[in-house]
Parts: sequence; C-alpha cells; structure tokens
Amino acid sequence: MIVSSNDMVRITADQDKTASPLSRLLRSDAFASIASPIVILLLWEALVRGHLLDARFFPAPSSVIVELITLIHSGQIFIDIAWTVSRVLIGTLLGAIPGLIFGVLLGLSPVIRMFVQPAISALYPIPKIALFPLVMMIFGIGDTSKWVIVGIAVFFQVFFSTLAGVVNIDKIYLDVASNFKASRWQTYRTIAIPGALPFIFTGLQLGLGMALIVVVIAENFGTQVGVGYMIWQSWQVFEVRDMYVGLIVVAFLGYCFQLLLLRLQRAVIPWKKAGGT
Amino acid sequence: MPLERPQTVINSGKPAGKISIRNLGKSFSLGETKVTALTNVNLEVDAGEFICIVGPSGCGKTTLLRILAELEAPTQGEVLISRDNPAVPLSSMIFQESSIFPWMTIRNNVAYGLKLRNVPQTEIDRTVDHFMKLAGLDGFADAYPHQLSGGMKQRASVARAFSNDPEILLMDEPFAALDEQNKALLQEELLRIWSETQKTVVFITHSIDEALVLSDRVLVMSGRPGTLKAEFKVDFPRPRRVYDLKADPTFGKLGRDIWMLLREEVTGQ
Ligand SMILES: Nc1ncnc2c1ncn2[C@@H]1O[C@H](COP(=O)(O)OP(=O)(O)O)[C@@H](O)[C@H]1O
Ligand SMILES: [Mg+2]
Repeated sequence: MIVSSNDMVRITADQDKTASPLSRLLRSDAFASIASPIVILLLWEALVRGHLLDARFFPAPSSVIVELITLIHSGQIFIDIAWTVSRVLIGTLLGAIPGLIFGVLLGLSPVIRMFVQPAISALYPIPKIALFPLVMMIFGIGDTSKWVIVGIAVFFQVFFSTLAGVVNIDKIYLDVASNFKASRWQTYRTIAIPGALPFIFTGLQLGLGMALIVVVIAENFGTQVGVGYMIWQSWQVFEVRDMYVGLIVVAFLGYCFQLLLLRLQRAVIPWKKAGGT
Repeated sequence: MPLERPQTVINSGKPAGKISIRNLGKSFSLGETKVTALTNVNLEVDAGEFICIVGPSGCGKTTLLRILAELEAPTQGEVLISRDNPAVPLSSMIFQESSIFPWMTIRNNVAYGLKLRNVPQTEIDRTVDHFMKLAGLDGFADAYPHQLSGGMKQRASVARAFSNDPEILLMDEPFAALDEQNKALLQEELLRIWSETQKTVVFITHSIDEALVLSDRVLVMSGRPGTLKAEFKVDFPRPRRVYDLKADPTFGKLGRDIWMLLREEVTGQ
C-alpha cells in the first residue's frame, strides 16, 4: 500500500487479507470466468419459458442438461467421445511427426527449403476439408480417410510452426554447436528441436483445433459413431437437444485437449518461465 | 598449395608456430556496400602462448576470432593451425554475447562438448563438477539459465569451453560483464589452468589492465579496417597474482604506453 503526502511517501505491505470473503469471491478469476456464462444461461432459460425464444432452435438449457444426463446414463455418449478422440489422436500423430521432421530439416537447410517450401506453401491455402472427397476416393470411406484428413490438417500447422521455430533460433547457438563440432544429427537433437519447441507447441495447439473441426465434418460420412456423427444425425432427425449436447461435448473436448497440451508443455519445456508465451 | 577459396587450414604438418596468420583479410558485403573488417593481418602464435588482443570496438577482433574458430572463412590470405593431439578438440570459443543454451540445465550446458564426443558419463561428471566449482556455479547444476544472473551465465560458458579441453582457447571479452571480484578470481583461475594444461590462448579484451595481467604478449589493433598495429612483450614473472601485479610500477608504465597508442585509434588522431 502506498500512502503519499506532502512530506513523505509510505510504502507498506498490502492489507488485502482483511477484505471480506464475499468481496474476495467477487474479485476472483474463477468467479469472473463462470459468472457471465451462468447469467447468459439463466437469461436464455427465462426467454424460452416466456416463449420469447423459439424452443425448436434454442431449447431450454435445462432440457439439454436432462438429455445430456440421459446420454451419460445410457453410456452412448462415451462411445461417441472415444471414437472421436481416437480419430483425432491417431490423425494428429500421423500429421505431427512428418510436420516436425520436415520443419526441422527445412529450417536448418536453406537449400532444401528453397526447393520444397514453395510446393508446401502452394498447397497450404487449400481448405483441408475440401480434400476430403479425394481422400475418401483414395482411402475409402472408413476410419483411414478420417485419420488422413486430420493428419493433413495437423501436418501444415506443425510444419509451418516448426519451420518458423527453427529459423528463429538465435544464430549464436548454431555457432556454438558448430564450434563444438556437433554433427548434423546432434545439431537437430540438441539445438533445432529444443530451440523450436515453444513454436512446435503453438503448432500442435493450432493443429488440434483444426483436427477437431475436420473430424466433426468428416464424421458425417461413412460412420455411425462419433460426436460429429451425433450432431449431423440429430440434424437429420431434427432432435435439436442432441445437437446441443454434441456441441457441448465438442467444446469440452477442445478445452480438454488444450489443457492437456498445456500440461505437456510445462513438463517438456521446463526452461520456460511460467506465464510466458 | 594454392587454394581455390581462401580458408582456415588445419594443418597436421607443423607450421612455424601453433597458429600462423598470413596476410589475412575479411570483408563483408552489406547490400551494395562492402565493409572491410580485417586487412593484412599477420601473426604467429606459439604453442602454449597466451596472447591478448586489444583494439577499438568494431575493428574486427570478433571477426578474427571467428575465423580462427572456423566459423567464418577469410576473403584473403590464410590461417594455419597445427593440431598436436587428435584426441581432443582443436579450439573452443567463448563468445562475447550470451551463448549458453536456455533449454539445458547448467550441468548439461557445461557438459555439452564432452557429451557430443560420447565421453564416459563418470568422466563427464568429474570434469563438469570440477569446472562448475571453479566457475562458482556450485549448487546451480540443475538450474536453467533464466534462473541465473548474467555474470553466472557468462561463467557457465567459460566452464563449458574449459571442460571441453581444447588445444586452443579463443576468448572474446569473456569477463567484460563480470564484477571486479569475480573477474579477478576467474583471471587467476584461467592463469592456473593455462599454466597446468599448456593450452594456447587467444584472448580479446578492451581492458588494458586485463591484457597485462594475463598475457605474454599484447597486440594492439588499429581501427577499421582492423590490422595489427603494434605488439608489447609482457614479461612479468609467473605465477602472477592480479593485485600484486597492479602495484608494480612497470605495470602502470606499460599500460600507459598501450593506452597512448589505442587512444590514437579511438579518437582518430
Ligand atoms: N556478419 C557480418 N556481416 C556484415 N558485417 C559484419 C559482420 N560481422 C561483423 N561485421 C562488421 O565488421 C566489423 C568488425 O566487427 P567485429 O569483428 O564484431 O568488431 P569487434 O569485435 O572488434 O568490435 C564491424 O564494422 C561490423 O559491422
Ligand atoms: Mg567483438
């Protein structure tokens, strides 16, 4: 606490601890982050009950929750989640590993970069999902085509992030490696990959976001399970509460993926100060 | 032997001394303009010799060291370096700016050269512990560089080069950022290691006192384009103690002579 007057400034410890529990709760981050969604949901509920909002498109939150509980009880929702998660994870591995390898290779070799990057950059603007029909022609309508399309989406994110990460590594570290006579492989392992890791994680974060978008669309085709399938199916039979449950689950999955990634990042990049980007 | 492109030549047949620099020149092209960093540098360094190079900033000291470290190729002339012990690295450079890897613990930073060479782990541990202790980094083995002060990071990069055990140490103003006490301690430590191991040391500094305390010979460089302008023999008896030496009247006289010369280069008169 700083008290300043004409002849002196007094700086003392903050005395916030004496604040009332209620005022502390109102000011806490947790409260702030759940307060506004709750207010919106309450308002929504009231509007539906007052017939000011069309319940055919915007069902009352309470009825969606009832539906969610029913689906949890029947266990169906967990089967859908498991399928979607497995498709996302397999596809992510399929895309992230080559993305990482190409990113590091091109990042450290201007010559390879000159030849390969234009080709990859030319493909990048194609909306990945627009390739899905082609992917299904090649790999069939089963799970393989879903893994592949998720993989393609993740590949580009991880590739470009890794490339940027490696290119951005301070040149002095490469000079040290070269002065210590590090081999090419040792330079990848000890400089390029760890130096680019923060960027690689950004790529994974963007990639997982893309993966979720792509998988939800792809699950409209050639499958009877998955959260995406559930959303499309509820559209066809006009079961709008199921659709909302699907949306909630997808949002929740996205949130969990990001949380997991953040944990992983903290474990793998211990040299980054907490809170940094 | 005529070379197609001037380059640093690592010679196994012996040249006159450990390092022979002949008519060395280096220019950089910055867009349209050409910057000549070094011109006509000639120097012989004996095996086991400790030389210091002083000169105004921007005169090409770092460039010269980077050529000796094989990080940069000359555009004129040549450098010959003889290799005496194929089992150890030829040279290790300590860079002027912070070069410690942020993603490795201090221990792994200091062990870097040994790990690349697949030295047995017990030997790595022994060497690394030894040099971390000398550099005053005891207890920081598992810390990451961002948890250390600037001076500690610089000491870690000194320890990294020493534990690599090269034949030649190339040191680019390594102690410039350190406080007086740490600087004096590390200077004495450097002298002790040098006298025990018979390494050849090329040491760049902007401190005349430091050059006199450490070296057998001080070379003064001219302003850009840099070339060697004068050399001073420094034959104070060894082992030297930093503060005893500074009390010696000839120390002050020699320092003054070097300063007069440097002053011309810095002020351009
Ligand atoms: N990679 C580079 N590209 C262009 N110019 C450079 C490069 N490295 C050094 N120079 C120039 O060469 C000159 C000498 O630089 P440097 O060797 O770092 O000087 P010192 O270490 O003596 O201060 C400077 O004018 C600098 O701008
Ligand atoms: Mg310099």
